[in-house]
Amino acid sequence: MGRILTVFLKEARDALRDRRTALMVLVASVVTGPLTLVLIAQFVSGLEERATTLKVRLAGAENAPALVNFLARADVEVEKAPPDYAARVKAGRLDAVIVVPPDFHERWMAHEAARVELVFDDSRTEASPAIRQSERLLEAFNRETATLRLMARGVSPSVNETVKVERVNAATPRQRGAVLLFLIPMFAILAPLLGGMTLAIDATAGERERGSLEPLLANPVPPAAFALGKWLAAWASASLVAVVTLGGFVLAAAFYAESRLPALLQFGLPEYARFVAVVVPLAALTSAAQMLISTYGRSYREAQTYVSYLATAVSFIPLVVMFSGAREAAWQAAVPVLGSLMALTRVLRGDGLTAFDALVPAGVCLALAALAVAAVARLLADERIVFGRS
Amino acid sequence: MIEIRDLAKRFGAVEAVRSVSFSAGDGRVTGLLGPNGAGKTTTLRMISTLLAPTAGTVRVDGIDAAADPLAVRSRIGALSDARGLYARLTARENIAYYGELRGLPRARIARAIGDLAAMLELEPLLDRRTDGFSQGERMKVAIARALVHDPPNVILDEPTNGLDVMTTRSLREAVRRLREAGKCVLFSSHVMQEVAALCDEIVIVSHGVVAATGTPEAIRAAAGSADLEEAFVRLTGAGGEAP
Repeated sequence: MGRILTVFLKEARDALRDRRTALMVLVASVVTGPLTLVLIAQFVSGLEERATTLKVRLAGAENAPALVNFLARADVEVEKAPPDYAARVKAGRLDAVIVVPPDFHERWMAHEAARVELVFDDSRTEASPAIRQSERLLEAFNRETATLRLMARGVSPSVNETVKVERVNAATPRQRGAVLLFLIPMFAILAPLLGGMTLAIDATAGERERGSLEPLLANPVPPAAFALGKWLAAWASASLVAVVTLGGFVLAAAFYAESRLPALLQFGLPEYARFVAVVVPLAALTSAAQMLISTYGRSYREAQTYVSYLATAVSFIPLVVMFSGAREAAWQAAVPVLGSLMALTRVLRGDGLTAFDALVPAGVCLALAALAVAAVARLLADERIVFGRS
Repeated sequence: MIEIRDLAKRFGAVEAVRSVSFSAGDGRVTGLLGPNGAGKTTTLRMISTLLAPTAGTVRVDGIDAAADPLAVRSRIGALSDARGLYARLTARENIAYYGELRGLPRARIARAIGDLAAMLELEPLLDRRTDGFSQGERMKVAIARALVHDPPNVILDEPTNGLDVMTTRSLREAVRRLREAGKCVLFSSHVMQEVAALCDEIVIVSHGVVAATGTPEAIRAAAGSADLEEAFVRLTGAGGEAP
């Protein structure tokens, strides 16, 4: 036990002496949260502004007095579209434009299908609320006209509406925020990878590269004590960086307490505590895995390459979850990293974190970390690893 | 006291050490002499229990290295072939780390660092980080680190490699003092003069086997040559065929 502490303290001191790296990692983790939230807040408030003011841009309004009348009754502001609307939409300066052709009124009066065009560019996400709004208004106008015409012929309007769709959006504002803020779990998972990396590599491949591994192992200390002490130091560093990074998010979220963002995102101290409870066991696993991989590296550089592959693989997991549309299932809690990610997402969604959600990923992470540390201890006793492979 | 019997080590198809037997006594300096690739470093690594022998036994102060490697390690201080320091730690911290790993109390570590620094002329360097150190300065710190627990057996693998004349001299002085203190000193070298100047006993190793053992005088007599270097060349067969 004493030897493990000795190794831990030496590694921690050694890492802190590397002022430039330590400072850079800490500064990067402190600013991550605020920077991300500023961008998200901008994005979110932009969306709300666009959607809340009901405004429709119309080209050829003079051709459709009935539509203009409908929009006026629906309390929608109608704005004349500039002549170069197509170019403006393309350039992203207009979200959607309704274009009414000259023959609209005649056809409409003659009860023929009257055509309108809706010009938009759906490759821009921020335009989608405005596009949907225009679509809905046109549908509503269509429905009103049809209903009036059916009634004029003595037919019940419900004939035309075999299925009546009522929109019920189940997402609470907070859940909508979580969709946007998959970024916080993503950073929560990447932070320990960043924080443990330097120490994990330096304590294994670095030790061999500078020729200090052989004399170190000649001390009457079991290799497991070295593996444990070094791992604990890497874990501490990874956890510290994660805790600081997430702390940055709490501070930034508190700063936005006055704005609209809190409706979307609750990230106060209770959420912070839960995040830390999930991320610290995860950091145990990531730092142990980084150490195991680095022990195979012949040089610091080689180990760095291997470890960055690990970081890439891990950072793919949130993306895979997001894009594959994988549904939450109980077994996912037992998949390393994925389980932790699910737990974090739940915390943000305000779904509540059950003991199962929190303990299964933590247990899996700690068990795998123990295996990795045991493997490192075995490698340190292996003469092929200590003296190089042939 | 280090005793090794029929020691052998094989790496795949390569037989680095075929059969080495000798004993190094307390209060004596034993020199392991041989050309590069003779198996000196491998032999020393087996003594410090970092390599497991393919065959043969190592006993240090009567303890079998295979049965109790940790006990053997605690009775040895070894300057190995690799002698890297922690560049961000000071010389004192580098030495103290090894003292702590060996479970020594703080006061004893502080005293040992003081004594070793005096012996190796390290005092002005103690509280500087080691990253700017010269090769000789590094070597001294590495030796102090290996000796911090005052081990009865001292192993030095090519300690004078790459050192200037002055540093070599102070190193020799340190080795003599260790002998006076009654330690068993075993050191390897491929430099004849060094071994001749320091050793009470010489073990000549060549191609993984012991070619000759004895005092410098005995070796000269055995080779039928007054010159030790000539004797070395004949005994190791390094000069081709014998006259």
